[in-house]
Amino acid sequence: MTLENEVQSLRQVPMFRDIDPARLKLLAFTSERVTFTDGQRFFTQGDVGDAAYVILDGAADVLLETAHGQLKVAEFGRNDLIGEMAVLAETPRSATITAVGDVVALRIDKRVFIELLAQFPQMAIAVMREIATRLERTNARLASRN
Amino acid sequence: MERNLFRYVWRHSRRDQLVIFAVVLASLPFYYWSLDLPKRIVNEAIQGGAFRSGLPTTDFLKLGVELPSYLGGGYVSIHDGYKVGQIGLLFGLSSLFLFFVLVNGAFKYWINVAKGALGERMLRRLRFDLFSIVLRFTPETQKTVKSSETATMIKDEVEPIGGFIGDAFSQPLLLGSQAITAMTFIMLQNVWLGLIAGGIVAIQFTVIPRMRRVQLRLGKQRQILSRRLAGKVSEVVDDLEAVHDNDATAYERADVSERLYTLFDLRFRIYKWKFMVKFLNNLLAQITPFFFYAVGGYFALKGTLDIGQLVAVIAAYRDLPPPLKELIDWDQQRLDVQIKYEQVVQQFSPDRLLPGETLAPLPPGVEPPHLQGPVALADLHITDSHGLVLVEHLSFTRALPLRIALVAQDSAAPGAVARVLARRITEYRGAVTFGDLELSRMPEHLTGRRIAYAGPEPVLFAGSLRENLVYGLRHRQQDAPELTGARRMEALRTEGALEATGEGWLDLELAGVDDATALDARLTDVLELVGMRETLLKLGMWGLVDPERYPRLAEKVVEARKVVRQRLEEQGLSNLIEPFDFELYNNQATVAENLLFGVPVHADFMGEALAENRLATRVLDAEDILDALTSMGASIAATMNEIFRDLPPGHPLFEQFSFIDADEIADFDDIVARWKSRGLKGLTHDERARLLALTLDYIEPKHRLGLLNDDLRQALVRARKRLHDALAGSPLRGAVEFYDPDRLTVAAPLRNNLAFGRLSHSVADALPRITAQTTELIDELALRLDVERVGLDYQIGPAGRLLSAEHRVAVYIARGLIKNPDMLILDGVFAAFGENHAREMLSAISERMAGKSIVAVLHGETLADPEVFDMLVRFEGVHPVVVRDHHAAPAAG
Repeated sequence: MTLENEVQSLRQVPMFRDIDPARLKLLAFTSERVTFTDGQRFFTQGDVGDAAYVILDGAADVLLETAHGQLKVAEFGRNDLIGEMAVLAETPRSATITAVGDVVALRIDKRVFIELLAQFPQMAIAVMREIATRLERTNARLASRN
Repeated sequence: MERNLFRYVWRHSRRDQLVIFAVVLASLPFYYWSLDLPKRIVNEAIQGGAFRSGLPTTDFLKLGVELPSYLGGGYVSIHDGYKVGQIGLLFGLSSLFLFFVLVNGAFKYWINVAKGALGERMLRRLRFDLFSIVLRFTPETQKTVKSSETATMIKDEVEPIGGFIGDAFSQPLLLGSQAITAMTFIMLQNVWLGLIAGGIVAIQFTVIPRMRRVQLRLGKQRQILSRRLAGKVSEVVDDLEAVHDNDATAYERADVSERLYTLFDLRFRIYKWKFMVKFLNNLLAQITPFFFYAVGGYFALKGTLDIGQLVAVIAAYRDLPPPLKELIDWDQQRLDVQIKYEQVVQQFSPDRLLPGETLAPLPPGVEPPHLQGPVALADLHITDSHGLVLVEHLSFTRALPLRIALVAQDSAAPGAVARVLARRITEYRGAVTFGDLELSRMPEHLTGRRIAYAGPEPVLFAGSLRENLVYGLRHRQQDAPELTGARRMEALRTEGALEATGEGWLDLELAGVDDATALDARLTDVLELVGMRETLLKLGMWGLVDPERYPRLAEKVVEARKVVRQRLEEQGLSNLIEPFDFELYNNQATVAENLLFGVPVHADFMGEALAENRLATRVLDAEDILDALTSMGASIAATMNEIFRDLPPGHPLFEQFSFIDADEIADFDDIVARWKSRGLKGLTHDERARLLALTLDYIEPKHRLGLLNDDLRQALVRARKRLHDALAGSPLRGAVEFYDPDRLTVAAPLRNNLAFGRLSHSVADALPRITAQTTELIDELALRLDVERVGLDYQIGPAGRLLSAEHRVAVYIARGLIKNPDMLILDGVFAAFGENHAREMLSAISERMAGKSIVAVLHGETLADPEVFDMLVRFEGVHPVVVRDHHAAPAAG
């Protein structure tokens, strides 16, 4: 797998869909491709957010640490972006993520990510759009529940 | 210091000057004879003057003394001489001439060497005297002096003075006597010619010095301007961060550029004057022969001057201008260095110095005394350099140990009191006494050992962490090693220091230890106290292990690296590190490291130089991969250009990730374009090397450009073997330290030695996991102290800049603690740490300083733990208010 494959993966991420391929290449090049073994943690709930991840291959569980132990609330798969909220909002990690089987992921360092957003408005707008869409969706879901 | 340079020189070099003077005198007759001989050669030998009476032979080398009449007259013969013919006389006299030339040369050589030695010795003395004076600057003086200007003065400005000192007395003497000899000689031959020569000399001596005075004035300005330039440059270098913080680069450039213009203008004016004077001088010197030929020739034709005399006069005149010119030069130099000397000495005047008695050494055999109580402050009144009052009416008397916290809001008072106690402020009113000693009169061997000060601006110097810590123990030693041999002789001659530096300067007793190893253990203790122990271990892991100094560690590392490997395998973590294997390509290492399979020690094998290294390119070529690797560099360059094109130069991502510097982008654009159209043939040798350099930095799993295939990898391993074979038999043997699983790699950090391989770039969190593993192992093998000792070797950079601000303060406090002082003054140091950390540190320090005094300036009363401090004084503006006082001593008297 090379940089080109990673760029292909990044293009599948909704947040990065509309971004120039050259920018995505920069994003990929400045990230690290790392592997996790089964059960290895990406990060732990309450940690400081230092990086976001894009799963290139494999799957990961989203676990909430509760008084009664860990509770699995969701699962991430290929081309999913993980942990970007803690990086953007500077809040602690809201959940623990562990690898299911061997996972290959692209680790996007927080500082690098912020630098890129600051440098390229196009990327910042894409990120904003994605977050606004999510908010919209949540609102719609809340409205439909009521 | 003596205000007049000549008196200074005379006082310290009288004897040497007189010896040189005597030799100069002794050389004069020989000089005169060498002038006289040409005349005799022409007149007696060539023209046959000695044979005029018809005799076929004459006496040669007949030596004797005509006795004066009061001794009875007559002639006492010493040597009868030889009977020689005309040819014999010619060769005899010529040989004699050659002999005198040699003798004159020998004299000149000896005199020059003696003058050189004299000058260099005086320069050494002058510099040492000035430096000794610098050490006596009062704290207040020191604040007003720019350090770089003082350094320039001691280093550069006194240099010409030293060069001149050798010439100070002997030069005018030698030249003057030569000139006078030559003049006398000319006068004796012909008065008229003598008068002409004398007249022109007189003109030279009146006009030229006048013109040169202007030159000197300019020179003095140049000296001051150059010194200021040096001051400015070092100021900018020291505060480079501030320059960038404030976007002031343009201003600084303009400022320096302006100064450079002024300097240029001045220097250029000096040049113009200099050559003007030179022109005039040459003109005057060359006009004289015109008179000699015209007037001398006239006399010769008239018969009042014989040809031999004329030749001799012209020959003598040839020798006249050089000494005259040099004499004028000497006079100018004299004025010049006198001005320089005065300039320098002015900066080192006695009213700004500490009293000499405080620097007096501890008498031999006397135990270093301790601080005596009670400590008494009587109506202490401190003002700053502008006369602004900082503290008023502070009085108290306490028995030792004194445990006092000083606090204030928005007031400089507590710090001022702390600095008075540390003798960093010497200009105060009132009295500070310990027992019956006044603080300002206490000798430094007492205060330096018993009082320790740490303030908010750490004073650290470039050197190792250890050297910075043990500076608190570097006192004048009773048994400091003495100089020997030539060094000692010279030191005695110039009144320099007689002690040798090196081992033996550390006051181990004061630190309470017996040897260097125990001292290191004590240093780690103290660093633990200030919260730097973990950092120390980290520094040790990054440090190089010198097997001579740490033989045990060097030996154990090899053992430890095997255990690390074994453990990782047991835990299924062997993919964290890809070990070095001579037969395999290491994917996690750069192409360069794979080629070398070791750490470059010689600069020719480091970094980009490797791409131009003949040996390296030869082995790559032998494997037929040089072109492939160079093309690979072109691919890298093309990708970098594509990826980083839109980032502005200097962007942090650029610096961190790109293979190519921002200002090289355009170059590489051009190179890549030509490579695409014409292949490697379109590139110059240099350009290919630049491309190869990119490839050498490449790591596939890190950069992921998909450029390395198995064929290339295998070829690189073969090239590695070729390189090792080639290096083994070449003079460059040892330029690369090869990896050897059974030996410590001295040039690689300890951390890498333990891993003996490269950390995987593609395993998540490899670094923290490996660090945890190795740290655990270090403790298991009881190597922690050894690693920490390596950490103590860490070079902290100028002013400790390679340490964080917090660590700088911590080291500063540790330096104070290591000498177990009677009184520790902590002036606002805790502001550098968090509240909790500060509290822990303070109580740990208090425990260690049990029974000793602590004076602390704190930024809040909450830190003034009653367990630590008996007394708390709060300053309201300049007025002290005693907030708490546990054991108030009975009022003094």
